[in-house]
Amino acid sequence: MVLELHVWGPAFSLPSIEAQCLATIAYFSLAVPQDAWVLVASSDPSVSPTSELPALRNGSTWVSRFRNIVDYLRQYSNGEWDLDSGLNGSERADNIAFSSFVESRAHALVDLSLYVTSQNYYNTTSPAYGSILQWPNQWILPPKIHGAAKARTEHLGLSSLDLQAIEDQRQREHSAAVAAGQIPKNFIRRPRDTVSGLLGKKSQQNQFRLEAITDDLFEPLEEMLGEKMYLLTRDSAGPSSLDCLALGYLSLALVPDLPYAWLRDAMKSKAPRLTVYTERLRQQCFDAAVEVSHAVAPSANTTSSHLPWRAPEQARLTTIGSTLFNAFADSVPILKDVRAQDRLRVAAESSDSGLSQEDSKKLSTFAHTQKKDILVNIAYAAGGLAALVGYMAYEGFFSSEGFDDDELEDEPITEFEPETMQAQNFLFG
Amino acid sequence: MTPEGRDNSGQVPGSVNLSRARDYFAVPAPIKRIFDRFPLVTYPSNDLPLRGAPSRNGNRLFVFTNAADAKQNKPSFNPQCLKWQAYLRFVGIEFDIVSSNNHASPTGALPFLLPALPTSNSTPIPSTKLQKWAIEQVHCEEEQQLNLRFDVYASLLDHRIRNAWLYALYLDTENFTSVARRLYVDPSTSNSVVRAALASQLQQAAREELLKSTQYIDVSALEAEAGDAFEALSTLLGDDKYFFGRSKPGLFDASVFAYTHLILDEGMGWKQNRLADYLRKHKNLVQHRERLLKYF
Repeated sequence: MVLELHVWGPAFSLPSIEAQCLATIAYFSLAVPQDAWVLVASSDPSVSPTSELPALRNGSTWVSRFRNIVDYLRQYSNGEWDLDSGLNGSERADNIAFSSFVESRAHALVDLSLYVTSQNYYNTTSPAYGSILQWPNQWILPPKIHGAAKARTEHLGLSSLDLQAIEDQRQREHSAAVAAGQIPKNFIRRPRDTVSGLLGKKSQQNQFRLEAITDDLFEPLEEMLGEKMYLLTRDSAGPSSLDCLALGYLSLALVPDLPYAWLRDAMKSKAPRLTVYTERLRQQCFDAAVEVSHAVAPSANTTSSHLPWRAPEQARLTTIGSTLFNAFADSVPILKDVRAQDRLRVAAESSDSGLSQEDSKKLSTFAHTQKKDILVNIAYAAGGLAALVGYMAYEGFFSSEGFDDDELEDEPITEFEPETMQAQNFLFG
Repeated sequence: MTPEGRDNSGQVPGSVNLSRARDYFAVPAPIKRIFDRFPLVTYPSNDLPLRGAPSRNGNRLFVFTNAADAKQNKPSFNPQCLKWQAYLRFVGIEFDIVSSNNHASPTGALPFLLPALPTSNSTPIPSTKLQKWAIEQVHCEEEQQLNLRFDVYASLLDHRIRNAWLYALYLDTENFTSVARRLYVDPSTSNSVVRAALASQLQQAAREELLKSTQYIDVSALEAEAGDAFEALSTLLGDDKYFFGRSKPGLFDASVFAYTHLILDEGMGWKQNRLADYLRKHKNLVQHRERLLKYF
């Protein structure tokens, strides 16, 4: 059985646009013999029942996420396809800790660089998604991913990279100032900001902040790498899963040619050894320059590519229908919550989730009760609405024709009366 | 309801549809009349609660806890608060514990500290600046600078273990009713409607936090990652008494203790505690927690 690895498609001359996918591709190309797997740039999370990419398919079994795939490969091959088997105790601990470190810190930086920085997103990332996605996903997925990246990096307080957010903020201030009557409308006119302008002149604070968070990531990694060949091990022992993960994130920091390349500049100046390491590992794992055509029509380019690409299936009508339905359902207020609850149940009920029978039963009952809660909420809302309508009916808004109209017509008079009374009191009093 | 109105019925025929639309959005007359009378009376503002002011002369750390535990300076039940409570204790700063909640904090998050000195101008110190303040007070060392692994291993606590904790405390129904509801929701109000709303907000916030980085919440993966994290921490500690071979506990010990203590604490009343099963596999972490518990 050939293993199928489904990933987001190529971009920026890397084999995938997403870091976890890059890490998984690197792991496969280092650990798994080339005839045992194929790479499918399906670029659509709905191909997998877990609705996540990267996803590994072996017959009817689907496994997603880097860590789970690595574990699955170890079990599947009885420990043969395992890059971490040679690690000793402290290296194993470092492997776990640095993986968590890279995932948390580097993920935020890549998000900031590719998605939150408006110039980069609109000029580079968004078109890259456009070329790998099929209709209608190219209209649905990029805004979703963009929004998620913004939400993930909100706590860093660097929204000034996001021109959209600045514009919103200014609009608010503007209208507040106008409303307060402080400034005549015509006088408020400022030129459009660019990110470099903002970072260069206005908010040095932001530059300090970017300096600090890039330092936080690169310094420990650079020190850990030292003069070694790989992050954890020397040349003879070969790379570990940490190297794959680091390559996934660092290559997205280093390789893309962005209009505002602050992350690449920071990496080159702060971590020269890490830059060389990333470039070397990239040559080892990926092709030098991957084009979208390699992934979509691999037969024409078999000689030029050493990744085992297989063309993704064309989207079927049912897939498109379900995509459209999901996109619609996710933007309906109450339905959205119902679906959020379901995300937990999917995990528990899929047979390979690794939970014991009892646990998964508990989990799905939990998800069911949660769902009931929401239904109760809906019932409350409906009840409230019914009460309101009832009140309106009682008040006569809905009663039969002639009387109803008269009643409505008379409202202004009722409201007016107390005022005239007061005025009279005032005049005579 | 509107007797005056009915007396005049039928006198003003005309653009019926227009006025009907307008009247649906107008405030109904009886309600308007009630609200026209407000405010009826304006009371003078309340005095500050007495329990907040017993010892004005010491440093006061505001944490999630209950009044009885606060008097005895017992560990807080919130990991963030416990971390800083433990750290300040380890470096030897005297302070009192005050029971509080998020609304009291200038940053919206607990813990924060009101320093005793200078008395004239006591601005609250949020948790992000507590370490700097402590270093100024007692001239302890800034541990992040001493070892490159500090930040790296701290990410295990801030992400892997925290995510598993969020799930275990807020999204596991049994734990939520027996632990989180009792500790966070019930003390804040006695109104059952508000309690229900607060509880669902807490769960919603936890769920959103977990769904930020993934498409769905994979419980087994969360727990396995926390298990891995404990393994790495156990290897890092080794046979030492405290992390990084120090002679005295510091910030990293406090961060680890904040989770290990609460996971192993019998008084929390966990119903489901798979994290404790993972943690008990590592004897040195359990002993580390017992060693630090003596400070309280």
